[in-house]
Amino acid sequence: MHELGLARNIAAIVREHARGRAVREVRVAIGPLACVERPALEFCWGLVTENSDIAQVRLGFLEAEGDTFVVREMEFMEDA
Amino acid sequence: MCGTCGCADPANEVSMTDTATGQKVILNGGHGHSHDHGHSHEHHHPGHDEPHTHGPQGEVIPLEIAVLDKNDRFAAENRGWFEGRGVVALNLVSSPGSGKTTLLEATIRALAGEIPISVIEGDQMTANDAERIKQAGARAIQINTGAGCHLEADMVARAARTLDPAHGSLLMIENVGNLVCPAMFDLGERMKVAVISTTEGEDKPIKYPHMFRAVDLVVINKIDLAPHVDFDENACRANIASVNPEAEVLCLSAKTGAGMDAWCARLRDIVAADRS
Repeated sequence: MHELGLARNIAAIVREHARGRAVREVRVAIGPLACVERPALEFCWGLVTENSDIAQVRLGFLEAEGDTFVVREMEFMEDA
Repeated sequence: MCGTCGCADPANEVSMTDTATGQKVILNGGHGHSHDHGHSHEHHHPGHDEPHTHGPQGEVIPLEIAVLDKNDRFAAENRGWFEGRGVVALNLVSSPGSGKTTLLEATIRALAGEIPISVIEGDQMTANDAERIKQAGARAIQINTGAGCHLEADMVARAARTLDPAHGSLLMIENVGNLVCPAMFDLGERMKVAVISTTEGEDKPIKYPHMFRAVDLVVINKIDLAPHVDFDENACRANIASVNPEAEVLCLSAKTGAGMDAWCARLRDIVAADRS
């Protein structure tokens, strides 16, 4: 159940750093000891972003070591 | 979203009840969860000056921000606040029913007049535990997490400031009964202490390794019941050692008082180490 809170935190980080620009994907790095379930986080990401200003933002995953759990990078849409 | 996650449900409110005054404060009502207070990042530069690369799709910026960054910052503040005031905070974690509250009641009575103790109680609902602590003779604040499954550092910050613990005192934080989520959330405590009871079986440490890896001390409670429930203490100790070889283990019964002396001695050591 804590994946929902984690998804909200990621959404807050995306909003803060996007500064209004359209984001295509946010990529989080999760280590094997981070205690985070990818499918659960993915599910919660859908709930948190649905019908919101960041509904188009995909959640990507990157491999990491130990208990790493960070928002590693964010990819913007190509500027029109 | 609200219908799905229960955001709009009044049961999802996080509240804090002071047993001394009976006053109840809502820490976050329904929406706007505790992490969305809008504390701005200190590295917020105006303009567009972050290092960036251009990927095949669009611009990519590195962030490297811990997902629990906000909680971690509140926890760091708490840690400094506790250190500055000479308060030792312990985060007690366990499954529901392991006897955390009974252990606290017995501890408060055993250390009465010696080490002042105050308690932050975390449960989804009811102020029952804080009332029990008050009856045992200590100051207690109840936090109700509503739908939440763990305490977070900002809740502890609010409760600790209301409790205003004395210099040289112990602050016991009884987390929500849950061996999963509380492992991830630093509250600013000196150490996490896991409580398991003989009725739960010997294999909790290997079933919930993340939690047992995060603690410094494991208390095996209800040791008086061990013969009745075929509890194998050595097997339990081996399981704890297999996930956390550094963890210290104490066996006791908060009900009969067996082993309480060693637990109280350990608490005295922790407080004394802090004073020196």
